[in-house]
Amino acid sequence: MNVALLLDVAAGGLLMGGLYALIAVGLNLQYGLMRVLNVAHGEFLMIGGYLTYMLHVHLGVNPLVSILVSGPVVFAGGMGIHALLFRGLLRLKRTQEELEANSLLISFGLLFILQNAALLLWSADIKGYQYLDRPLHVLGAVFPTNRVVAFGVAAMVTALLFVFLKGTLAGTTVRALMQDPVGARLMGVKVPRVHGLCFGLGVGLAAVTGSLVSMLFELTPFIGLPYTITALVVVILGGLGSVTGSLLGGLILGVLESLGVHFTAPDLRMVISYGVLALILVLRPYGLFNPLAPRPGQASQA
Amino acid sequence: MATTLDRRTFLKVAGGGVAAAALFPRIGRAQATPVRIGFTLSATGPYSVGAGITQGPNYHLWVEQVNAKGGLLVRGQGRRPVQLIHHDDRSEIETAVRLYEKLITEDKVDLLLPPWGTAMNFAVAPVANKHGYPLIGPTVGSMKLYELNLPYFYAVLAQPDSMMRALAEFLKDLRSQARINKVAVIHVADLFGLEHQAALMPLLREAGFDVVEAKSYPLGVKDLSDLLKSIKAKGAEVFIALSYPPDTILATTQAKAVDFNPAVFYGAVGTAFPFFRDRFKASAEGVFGIGAWNPKVPYPGAKEYFDAHVRKWQKEPDRWASAFTYATLQILEQAVGQVSLDRARIKSYLDATEFSTVVGPIRFTRGLNRATPGMVGQWQKGEFEVVWPRDRATARPIFPKPAWQ
Repeated sequence: MNVALLLDVAAGGLLMGGLYALIAVGLNLQYGLMRVLNVAHGEFLMIGGYLTYMLHVHLGVNPLVSILVSGPVVFAGGMGIHALLFRGLLRLKRTQEELEANSLLISFGLLFILQNAALLLWSADIKGYQYLDRPLHVLGAVFPTNRVVAFGVAAMVTALLFVFLKGTLAGTTVRALMQDPVGARLMGVKVPRVHGLCFGLGVGLAAVTGSLVSMLFELTPFIGLPYTITALVVVILGGLGSVTGSLLGGLILGVLESLGVHFTAPDLRMVISYGVLALILVLRPYGLFNPLAPRPGQASQA
Repeated sequence: MATTLDRRTFLKVAGGGVAAAALFPRIGRAQATPVRIGFTLSATGPYSVGAGITQGPNYHLWVEQVNAKGGLLVRGQGRRPVQLIHHDDRSEIETAVRLYEKLITEDKVDLLLPPWGTAMNFAVAPVANKHGYPLIGPTVGSMKLYELNLPYFYAVLAQPDSMMRALAEFLKDLRSQARINKVAVIHVADLFGLEHQAALMPLLREAGFDVVEAKSYPLGVKDLSDLLKSIKAKGAEVFIALSYPPDTILATTQAKAVDFNPAVFYGAVGTAFPFFRDRFKASAEGVFGIGAWNPKVPYPGAKEYFDAHVRKWQKEPDRWASAFTYATLQILEQAVGQVSLDRARIKSYLDATEFSTVVGPIRFTRGLNRATPGMVGQWQKGEFEVVWPRDRATARPIFPKPAWQ
């Protein structure tokens, strides 16, 4: 058993986990808060990736700088899409289940529209560019430089998100809505506005992740869905509505996947992912870090 | 003034009459019923990259060329325009099978062209065969398909047995120049990868190579860096990826990123794409790939084909199966010109004829083109050179592979 190689592989997984965490936090802001299950979440990642690709290849913009464009553009687009498609749905909902089912259907439609629009715009050809793809030697292990950079940026963006959630009034209302929707409403929180903000933030984070992903992998209009699934696994692993949970969940899943693949085969990556999901659903259906999970002896209110 | 106008009017009328007379036979010809040719190609999904680079552009190029000549020459009927009826099979095998059934039974097309990829052809070939449609597959590498014994199916590429034998022979030849012994083989878990892996492994063992890693990965894999790291840790000197285009790019990108630079780096489908060279620029130098073709090969029409492709699409054809795709169309065109659209007679003609194409002579022995040997190519200064076998080579191999740039 080669311990150095194992550590190397685990660290590689951790780097990927940073990206998983970022996209999962985005999904959690939507699903955890509003019960809007946005299956088109990964499509916004794809769009973010293409925006960075276009800016870098055609205008020579540094991919890291392009995040300042892709994030805000998709954030604004997300707010618009929310106003157009989801606001009415939230107003009309009778039950939580109805909202979940309808938002699922709407976002499925959105997925196909965005995917095919991308197909028309950018064709199915794989697109990619080289950026910081030299090896970086750290303590005898080798990492792709761009992955380390992507991880660093993901960590920074997450830190900013935390500052926003803990340090600003808007962030506080978001947390309030997560903890107690009824109470927050009674305190005068404008629910539709916060929902729109969260949807925009969520897809904006997906777009930022997409910009980072475009530095590491080739783009096609179909890269989105696998990331949505990964994000969903992470959200459930970390706990619905728990931003910290998504963060840790992403890192854990990244490491588990890498080690699992190392000991088995790349064929089994999805099996490992879904295996983790199944195990969590059986053992801790509320996720690992959900502060709202009922404690033993407490009656379930969900 | 008035006379000038009159003269102009006169010229217009007279000129129009001449033009009409000249056009008339052409109109008559254009009204001949078109020859309807059906196919599916993947416009979406994991097969779309290969389909959109290797097959689609050549189908459309050929139709444009044929129609520019006044149509496809059908024996006994003169030239008839070609009309394509095509669909997106979305990289879904069952969709492709359904669409081919539809093309045959509902659209009643005159001829069929095959879809892209080994697994697709494997599924579609029995359908075409059942209805007696000859199908000449340009992107098929499968011995299992051969074992199905479908008399109407033809394959032009060197099949896994001869392709992998060529690779093994080439490696043995390199071993006589420098010490290479440890080999790592990864393959895509799709019929293409499975069959090539099955053909290659016994040859490597027979030749006494030490296989340090042999793993498969799924179609559409996102990340191979962990696998590449462990292959690097095992000290592989030869890396062979029996891969499809997206994963060929992925493996190359990530090998470079984890600083894995073996003496031999060999990728399968996609390595010969100009996209590969443009994507990796100087790092493409010295990368080996499955099969090879380039405009320097000494066959009639090769250079013309290359130039026509660049003119129509503003991009170069890929350096392997593109030219083979075009060759299948040359074969079809010749067959229809010689025997008409009677599909049973086309089949007999295909069985009995040696064709001269842009990839050299092609002759089918029980459906397989055994006139083209397995080949190995290598990117050298922007061209994908044929480096093995020696009698087909357009350049000497660069070995060991230079460092990633």
